[in-house]
Amino acid sequence: MATLFDFKLVFSQIPELLKYLPITLELSIISMVLGIVLGLILAIVKIREIPVLKQIATFYISLIRGTPILVQLYIAYFGIPMFFKWLSIRNGTEYQPADISGFVYAVIALGINTSAFNAEIIRAALLSVGEGQIEAASALGMTYLQTLRRIILPEAITVALPSLGNSFISVIKGTSLAFTCAVVEMTAQGKILGGRNYRYFEVYVSLAIIYWAITIIIEQALKYFEKKLAIPEQVANYVPESEEKA
Amino acid sequence: MIKVEGLSKRYHDNIVLENVDLEINEGDVIGIIGPSGTGKSTLLRCIDQLEIPEKGSINLGERDVDLSRKNRKDINEIRQNTGMVFQRFNLFEKKTALENVMEGLIVVKKMNKEEAKKIALEELAKVGMTAWANHYPKHMSGGQQQRVAIARALAMKPRLLLLDEPTSALDPELVGEVLDVVKDIASKGYTMLLVSHEMNFVRNVSNRVIFLDKGHIVEDGTPNEVFEHPKNQRTKEFFAKMNLMNQPDYII
Repeated sequence: MATLFDFKLVFSQIPELLKYLPITLELSIISMVLGIVLGLILAIVKIREIPVLKQIATFYISLIRGTPILVQLYIAYFGIPMFFKWLSIRNGTEYQPADISGFVYAVIALGINTSAFNAEIIRAALLSVGEGQIEAASALGMTYLQTLRRIILPEAITVALPSLGNSFISVIKGTSLAFTCAVVEMTAQGKILGGRNYRYFEVYVSLAIIYWAITIIIEQALKYFEKKLAIPEQVANYVPESEEKA
Repeated sequence: MIKVEGLSKRYHDNIVLENVDLEINEGDVIGIIGPSGTGKSTLLRCIDQLEIPEKGSINLGERDVDLSRKNRKDINEIRQNTGMVFQRFNLFEKKTALENVMEGLIVVKKMNKEEAKKIALEELAKVGMTAWANHYPKHMSGGQQQRVAIARALAMKPRLLLLDEPTSALDPELVGEVLDVVKDIASKGYTMLLVSHEMNFVRNVSNRVIFLDKGHIVEDGTPNEVFEHPKNQRTKEFFAKMNLMNQPDYII
């Protein structure tokens, strides 16, 4: 009689699933980079209260945060090819949207999704940098962009890092829905494995273990970076070089 | 000579500065005094375009620059020629004392790191903060932070140094060290506008004192003239109150 729960299989098929880990990570990292860049732009638009763009940003954030990621993935998967088809008809070109891989749609959907959440995280972090420092930079003659890059961002990153880390973990978990865009990443591969031997429960347990392990690794990495970015507690007094030699 | 002309600033209906004219000679140390809320800080902040006035211009020697318009080129010209020291120091929190002083030199004056470091160390030495070059603001006392902030402003070689109540956010025992530094740089020929509530200090360090009341300059003369023989009734009242408070047996 076959066993009810194949405990060994849970672990023995992990290597088979890990073959698809690079795709999961690629999807996550590219989406996260896109999400941070978009999020930063949205945050600055909101902070600087740029007319029209600010309203658009508010609408965008509300819309993306108010809809499920699964729906967004489907919309990207079906909507973007339709958009290209429309462009193609309008311009009379023979462009085939089918040439675009599902990976691109998934990145766009995941990136846009996380950008809305990142925007709020980044906005709060940017606002946490004291107005006085920004004024001091202005008084020195620095432009806003110079101030942003050299004064605001280095301090804001420390504030935003833990939340952005959580956001990244969400993206990784979100990639498990990328099958909607016909991307075979780790979870999709799990489904395929399950379909072969009907051990669906075992394969999902394996996947759970892998995702959990990834999350723990990321949390540890975050702790390390937070420590590295923090202002050191103790610093030695400065000794001029001339005195050092003497 | 630096000329400020027709400077007017209001917040909503509240007139803070009204048609203020000010001529500053090279090497002048001008103490600006007056009751709270009379526009002393606003005057400095408008000169540096941290606040945009409704009207007013500044002439740094070559041409009139309209202060009421935000024009990148004008702002650059003004800020390259002025240095600002804030009440709350406003040091860059994620940078060491040395990096704070180097920042403007690298980003604005486009110096390389070696040059900037050399100048920054010289400036830190002037304010007695060399040993603290590697420390971050959060490890320093308020007085030490303010000394670094002064070094940061001086490193840019401003023609006009604006000091906005540099000691009023400090614990009493830390005021002295900052005043010593201010006195020292005043004696070195820097042109300065100093807003302060330390009357004795203003009297001591300035060669000219301005009394601002409700957005107008009501008194302008040598420290002796203003403190000993004020012409304006408001000035007299202000000093009377001050003297009362300075009396040792004054009890609230």
